[in-house]
Order: sequence, then C-alpha cells, then structure tokens
Amino acid sequence: MSDAIADDLPSFRRELNSWLDDNEGELRLGHVGHPTLDEDLAQFTHIKRALFDAGWGRHGWPVAVGGLGGSSMLRAVVGEEIATRDLAEPGMWSMIEVLAPTVIAYGSPALIAEMIPPLLRGDETWCQGFSEPNTGSDLASLSCRATAVEGGWSVSGQKVWTSFAQFAERCVLLTRTGEPGSAHRGITALFVDVDSPGITARPIEIQNGTLEFCEVFFDDVFVPNERILGAVGQGWQVAMDVLPYERSTAFWHRGAYLHHRADQLIATVAGIAGADGAAAVDTGQARLLGEAFQAVMAFRCRSRATQHRLAGGGQLGAETSIDKILIATAEQTLFNAARDVLPGVIEFDDDAEAQRLRWEFLYSRAATIYGGTAEIQRNIVARRLLDLGSE
Amino acid sequence: MIDPDDLALLATSFAAAMSRAPGAAEADDALHDLGWGELLAHAPLQGAAAAFSALGVTGSAACLLDDVAANALGLPVSASACVVLPAPSFSRQPAERRGQSIHIDGLVSARIDRSDRAMVAVSDGSVVEVDAALLRTTDVIALDPQRPFRRLRVDVCERDVVVLARAGSWDTVILRARAAVAHQLVAASRVMLDQATQHAVDRVQFGRPIASFQAVRHRLADALVAIEGASAVTEMCAEDECDPLMATMARSLAGAAARTTAASAQQVLAGIGFTTDHPFHLSLKRTMVLDTLFGSARTLPTEIGNALLAIGGAPRLIEL
Repeated sequence: MSDAIADDLPSFRRELNSWLDDNEGELRLGHVGHPTLDEDLAQFTHIKRALFDAGWGRHGWPVAVGGLGGSSMLRAVVGEEIATRDLAEPGMWSMIEVLAPTVIAYGSPALIAEMIPPLLRGDETWCQGFSEPNTGSDLASLSCRATAVEGGWSVSGQKVWTSFAQFAERCVLLTRTGEPGSAHRGITALFVDVDSPGITARPIEIQNGTLEFCEVFFDDVFVPNERILGAVGQGWQVAMDVLPYERSTAFWHRGAYLHHRADQLIATVAGIAGADGAAAVDTGQARLLGEAFQAVMAFRCRSRATQHRLAGGGQLGAETSIDKILIATAEQTLFNAARDVLPGVIEFDDDAEAQRLRWEFLYSRAATIYGGTAEIQRNIVARRLLDLGSE
Repeated sequence: MIDPDDLALLATSFAAAMSRAPGAAEADDALHDLGWGELLAHAPLQGAAAAFSALGVTGSAACLLDDVAANALGLPVSASACVVLPAPSFSRQPAERRGQSIHIDGLVSARIDRSDRAMVAVSDGSVVEVDAALLRTTDVIALDPQRPFRRLRVDVCERDVVVLARAGSWDTVILRARAAVAHQLVAASRVMLDQATQHAVDRVQFGRPIASFQAVRHRLADALVAIEGASAVTEMCAEDECDPLMATMARSLAGAAARTTAASAQQVLAGIGFTTDHPFHLSLKRTMVLDTLFGSARTLPTEIGNALLAIGGAPRLIEL
C-alpha cells in the first residue's frame, strides 16, 4: 500500500462523515417497522443517487466509467460509513461492489462506458445468474445453454438464487457454450438485458419471509455478440474473478455492518442492565457478547489486511477463503449471541428491532452456504493453503 | 515505528540465537546481547512481536516476559530482571498487603534461579523488591518439562521488601504482556499445525495419505482459520499504539486458536503424537502453560464482554 493512500483516507473519511451528518435527514427515506424489500430497494436507490451526485459514490471507480478514480479503499470507506449509519441494506450494496468490477474487467470499453454509470448512479439494479437447480457448489457443471445464432447467442435454461432479478435491468449470466460435460472449459459469461423477450423471473420466499431470490427462466433469449464478457469459453475465469471482488470492498462493508449490529446489541443489553441493575447481565451473557465481538474483529482485522493488499496492486486468491470462513463465523456467532442474550426477543417480540433481529438471525443461517459453502472453503484451504494434495 | 521488513529480520535473528542457545538462561543472554533490551525500550510492542514470535517458532524457554513487564513498569531491564506474574488465568497484580505481610499468589519465571531480587506488583499500585531466595520454590514437576514458569504462593514480611520508584502502570503491563503472549501462541500454533500437516501427507492408511480424507482436511483447515483470525488481530498489536481491548482480544483469540490447533493436531498425529518420540507434546504443554498468562481463552471473552457493556457499545478500534 502506498503511504499516500493511507494518509488520504482519514481526511476522506472525515469529510464524508461531515457530509453525511449535514444531509442525514434527506438521505433516509422513512418507513414503519422493519423495512419491506421494496422499501429497502427504494432506500438503496435513493442513497446511491445521493452519493453519486455528491461525488462520494464515484470515488474509487475508474474515470472511464463515470468515476473519479483513486484507490478501491475509498469505496471501502464509503461502504463502511453507510453500513454504520444503516443507510443501505448490505446485500443490495454488495451487488454493485461485486458485479461492477467484473464487468469493468471483462466488458468492452463501449459497453462499460454505457452500462456502469447508471449502475453507480442507482438508476439500475443488476443481478448475477450463476447457480442453477442442479448446480450449487459444483458451479462448473452448469447447463444453461447458449447456442451460436446469427449475430449472437440464443440462451435457454434456468438459473436460481438470483438476488433481485425481479427488479434488475441487467444480468451477468454464466452459460454453457461448450459441449455438455465440458466443465469449466465450456462456459461463457454474457451481459444480458433482463427485459429481453423470453426471460421470466419468479421470486422464491426464503425462511425470513423475504422475496430477495428468484428463479429465472430463459427461453430462446437472444444476446448479441458485443455482450460477451471476455471471450467465448472464458466464463469460468470471469466467475473466479468475481470472488476477489466479493471478498474485498463488499466484505469490508458487510464486516462494518456486523460491527454496527454488535455495537447496537451491546448498547441494548447495557441499557437493560442499566435499567434493571447490573445483575441483569450474567457472566454467560457477557461471555457471549465477548465471543461475538472478537469473532467480528478477527474477521475485520483479516479483511483490513486484504483491502490493503488489493489496493497495493496485489492479486487476491485462495487465501480469501479464510476471510470468507471468518465472516460467516462472525455473522452466525453474533446473531446466535443475540438470540441468547435477549431471551425470547427473536422468538416472540414484534417491535421493529425484534423483527430486524429475527430477519437477520434467519438470514445469517445462509452465511455458511452462499458464495461457496463452508465445506467448499475448507476444501480450498486444505488444497491450496495447506498443500494437502488432492482428495 | 520499525519497518516491517526489519522487524521480520529481527525475528529471524532472535530465533536463530534462541535455537543456538542450549538453555533458557543462555537464550536470555543471547537476546540481550542482540539488543533486545534497547529494542524493548525503543518500540515495546513491535519488539515484543519479533521476540515472542521467535519464542513461539523455536519453543525456547527464554524468560522475556519478565523484560516486557519490567519495561512497562519503568524498571531496569536486564537478563537478570525478574518480575512476578499474575496467578494462572488472572491478570491483576500478584500480591496484596495483609497486615504486616505481603501475600504473593502468582507465577515466577525461571529467571528467579539467576536473580538476586524479584520485583512484585501489589494490588495497592506499589511495586516492591523481594530477595529472590524467598521466592525460590522447591523443585516440583510441572506440566512443561522446561518449566519456564513456576507457581508461587508465599507470604513475605513487610520489613523484607523495598518499595521501588517506577514510571509505568500495571495496566500497561497487562496490555503489553497480552500482546506478547498472543504473538507467541500464534507462532507456537503454527508449529503444531505444520507438524500435523506434514504427518497427514506422510502417513498412509487404506493405501493413501490420510491428508486425502476430508475429515482430516477440514480439521486442519479449521485450525489454520483460527490461527489466521488470531494472527490478524495480533498483528494490530504490533503498531505504534494498541488499544487495551485489542490486546485482550488478540490474547483471547490466540489462546482459542492454540486450543483448536492442539486438539486437531493431536487427533491427526494420533499414535505418534501421543508419544514423547514426537515433539508435539512439547508444543501442547507449552501452549497450555502460555494460555494461563494474563487470562485464558476461557476467561477473556467474559472480560471483553464486560468491558464492552461498561462502554455501552462496540468501539471501532481499527481504521483502514
């Protein structure tokens, strides 16, 4: 990391916070109780536009796509302060941080100059079409078919677990262009307009009641050649490059969100103890809070080093599987602690904070499943970091 | 602030000196000859990071925690400086006044054998000097065969002690000792994981290396994740300044990582790891002893939780 970046960050953060303080009222759309998905999306769109218009949302992005340039650390700082102020739902925020760098890396100059600015400005929502009903951990076995036709490709097949597809204008889609069984060699990434004829998105209700995820059906959908990301057959590399982006600024944002929720949980418990006397907090509760916070900090300190490595021009690889395991562990440890230090709140209460904790507890169960399961991550650690050879 | 590359070089030269030294006393002397005392005075957290990582890597029983404590208290540092440490899993001062006597309940390092006097911090905030002969315990067989620390429970008369002038506080001792021991535990855990990883690759059962079995792979992966999480927090304790809460979390996570790694390594090493033919038992015993210093993996999360509740929230502690 260059010293110039580090020297700049504190003043960047100070100015950002002062702007956020000054505009707090206008930045937050109102809602009653725990927000619905539509309310979360409206808030997310609102904050993205405000940040873009004021310039904060353009730092850390290349000038060629409407950004102001500078280190990716600037984006990490913006994400951190937004999470700490509860100004954006973290899952929605991560969508931009994950997909935009991938499209910038693999899209043609004309494509990215047209497509990235509306995304950064909050005018568009994008989604990621990777998983399929029969393709979860074994991503290279995907079968959504793209067949060469005049001037482009015809796509037929099905995706699943596609977040926000029902709202999305564009989709980064992995397709099978090689022979069936060509595994990671026969995959091509396409950049698809979701309003193309032949695409149907059907939301799936998950266990916390949210309709975030969709099944997406493709029936003879035409995608022109200029929408290929990278080259034909290069889709696996595109998919593998998504991971480092997920594990850089997006993870830093999610870590900041977990830190913020730990802060609020501790304040809640301390408030109860203050009202009812110190006896309200027993040693077991203090221990759970301590374990949760040290798990969050283990992730954040690890992620901090990762952000510095990336900003310094380093490549991220298998070692970020450790970041992934640490953040999943932190998230589940934190919400497990919430369940036990506030007995009955998640199970029975109905105020906005209880609804939120219930929503988060249930969502956190997936932290060891999505983005590569905890088991897949351990396989990577064993093979690539411990050199244990093949299974 | 010492350059990270220079710090790594220092750790390497410290480790080389420890490996050459036949015993703890010789290693103590070698480190002091290499300028460990001056380094500690100049950059206490970074110096401790280099020296205690070297202790963890080599398994040396050099008594450098005495130096860390003496320096933090503003007392002279030398290869014969001896500071009584807190009782196992505690971090408060090891002594309290009881009428005309001072009751000491703590740990003392092997330095006590070569020192004339030992320094003892008392719960009232004073530090007293005691004749080392009064603190030399009869030889007992303890867990760690090199006996880097011994249990001490003794009452000394008020008239047999000298009250010392000093500049540092016991809180500084706790912070620096926790950071130092965290570095040692992280490095010692890596040694245990390396031993188990090598064994998993070499050992063949059912016609293939046991490293090919997912049950074995995932245990070792879990150990590495625990070590890297603890290491990341511990590295934050080698900067110019370190928040006490950060040092407490580093020590807590490092203790937990050592426990996770020891359990996984023991299971993977199986029969050979259960014998004294294999060096694993030395790391197991040393890390058990280290996890009693200035708290333990069992007690520290509660302390962290109580500290957070007293603050009423979770301070940010790190910036990008």
